[in-house]
Amino acid sequence: MSDLSPILRISALTKTFDEFTALHGIDLDVAEGEFLAIVGPSGSGKTTLIRLLVGMDDPTGGAIWLRDQRIDVIPANKRPTCMVFQSLALFPHRTVGQNIEFPLKLRGVKPGARKERALELLDLLRLPRDYYSKRIQQCSGGEKQRVALARALAFDPEILFFDEPLSALDYRLRKTLEKELKDLHRRTGKTFIYITHSLEEAMVMSDRIAIMRAGRFEQIAPAEEIYARPVSPFVAEFMGEVNFLSLSAGTVAGAALSPAAQAAFAGQSGTLVIRPESLRLAPASADLTLTGTVAAEYLLGSRVQYRFDSPAGELTVEVLREDAVAGGTGAQVALGCDIAAVHVIPEAEDAAA
Amino acid sequence: MKTSRLSSFLLLGYGIFILAFLYLPLVSVGLASVSKARYLSFPIRKYNTGWYGEALASDTVQSLLWISLKVAGIVTVSSMVIGFLGALAFARYSWRFRKGFQKLILLPIFFPQTVLGLALLMWFNALGIVPSWKTAIIAHLVWIAPIATLIVSIRAFSFDPSLEEAARDMGASQWQVLREVTIPLLMPGVVSAGLFAFLLSWGNFPLSLFTTGADSTLPEWLFAKMISGYSPLVPTVGMLTVAGSAVLVAAGLILAWALKRLRPTT
Repeated sequence: MSDLSPILRISALTKTFDEFTALHGIDLDVAEGEFLAIVGPSGSGKTTLIRLLVGMDDPTGGAIWLRDQRIDVIPANKRPTCMVFQSLALFPHRTVGQNIEFPLKLRGVKPGARKERALELLDLLRLPRDYYSKRIQQCSGGEKQRVALARALAFDPEILFFDEPLSALDYRLRKTLEKELKDLHRRTGKTFIYITHSLEEAMVMSDRIAIMRAGRFEQIAPAEEIYARPVSPFVAEFMGEVNFLSLSAGTVAGAALSPAAQAAFAGQSGTLVIRPESLRLAPASADLTLTGTVAAEYLLGSRVQYRFDSPAGELTVEVLREDAVAGGTGAQVALGCDIAAVHVIPEAEDAAA
Repeated sequence: MKTSRLSSFLLLGYGIFILAFLYLPLVSVGLASVSKARYLSFPIRKYNTGWYGEALASDTVQSLLWISLKVAGIVTVSSMVIGFLGALAFARYSWRFRKGFQKLILLPIFFPQTVLGLALLMWFNALGIVPSWKTAIIAHLVWIAPIATLIVSIRAFSFDPSLEEAARDMGASQWQVLREVTIPLLMPGVVSAGLFAFLLSWGNFPLSLFTTGADSTLPEWLFAKMISGYSPLVPTVGMLTVAGSAVLVAAGLILAWALKRLRPTT
């Protein structure tokens, strides 16, 4: 992505509200055609960021460039970008067709051409053509979602922004629409920037994930990389269940290290990040081994999750059902994992986070 | 849950009593207007609809109707405009003095109308303005425009601000946002405000009494005739006043129904 010039460049973007700083001079490059998800807990500044990007609010400092045009000085209605709102913001006093045609009407496109485009978009979003004259109130949640998308695409934006548009839907519909959205991204080739607090959503759809925390980007990388190599305990925890072990001058309290592990960690201090699925039960050989007592057991369909008490602290382990522990709660089990499955967050970054 | 026979009987009786309590007086005015006798007495011995013809032919009644209509009409239109703009300030946009504005605008409603009428009359005198039906318009507006604002505000409060933002995001100018989104969505509120404004102005007595000067509206004339010079023309004109309101309410309901029915398909 870095070899192409970015379609969107944010530099030193700052936003303050009275005493509160919502964005601390953040930078970001987005490549043309990319699907970027911006993820963070509520209050992390992601909504503030998207409002600055579409022009609903003015930044306190910094700049936003779309290709070689500076857009943060342009009013919202003159920017070549479009947003799908969390509430969808469909006009209740207009039909499905009129909603989709709205941006075209503003541009003075003739009614005939408008209708033609609206029908094409209904096809693209897999809505029946007779929805054209349906009222918005007659559409289901998923259909409204598609109408909102069709309207945004009718605008034909350079970048399409999404502000948690799926958050109000039930689980199954959300899953379906996540896949559809990804598919739509591929078919349209547009740049999508998607804001969500759901990491799962981000992981299913996006090329890259930007994790936000307290008005800053904590890490920007593809999902696999963030999952395997988080830069901070915050990111590691945000990416799902995780175990932290404390590494101090090359030793891990409560665990035995193989010669290879001793060599790898020699002299280092920080936090070891181990995912629950990386810990194995009663391993024949492992680089890091410790003993734990089963404190709790949860069935997760094809997998079983355990909570262990160990000298290194509480540990979460997830194994396939056929590898389950015999004996259940109270059983003493040897646990281990290989060095390849362990990620080290050095002390300095740990402390900063 | 099943209600017992007795309780549903009592409920029905109560309902009928309340309706009778509310509507019998109106019915009696209606009956009085078709009585042949010069003075009001029940039961009515002889019926006669001649008073309606006489009322409509009378120059006085025509002029009363015309003045009341002018006042109510202008108050209605002005209230709709003021109510719409006021509601945007009251409920939709946040601005510096909004809290103060929200309280101040309610104040005229809490003033007894007689006090408000007196205050306005003194004020017109101080400014050297001769009271007439035109000053009555101002007096009515002082009281009715805040009510219209509140009615439109109810609608404006339930308005999702992201609708305007979305329109703007898709390239609409301020004026286009207003025309395409804000006005159509607040329109039902504006229409109800207009209906209320008309009814409140059309039937208003205390403010008119103080501020119409030599002119007279229907309610003022009814009062004056009740005090001295009663004739069956009084209940007749009363019924004509009610008929005016009824026609307007019906027109308003039809308009509201049409707005709801027609808009999405045009």
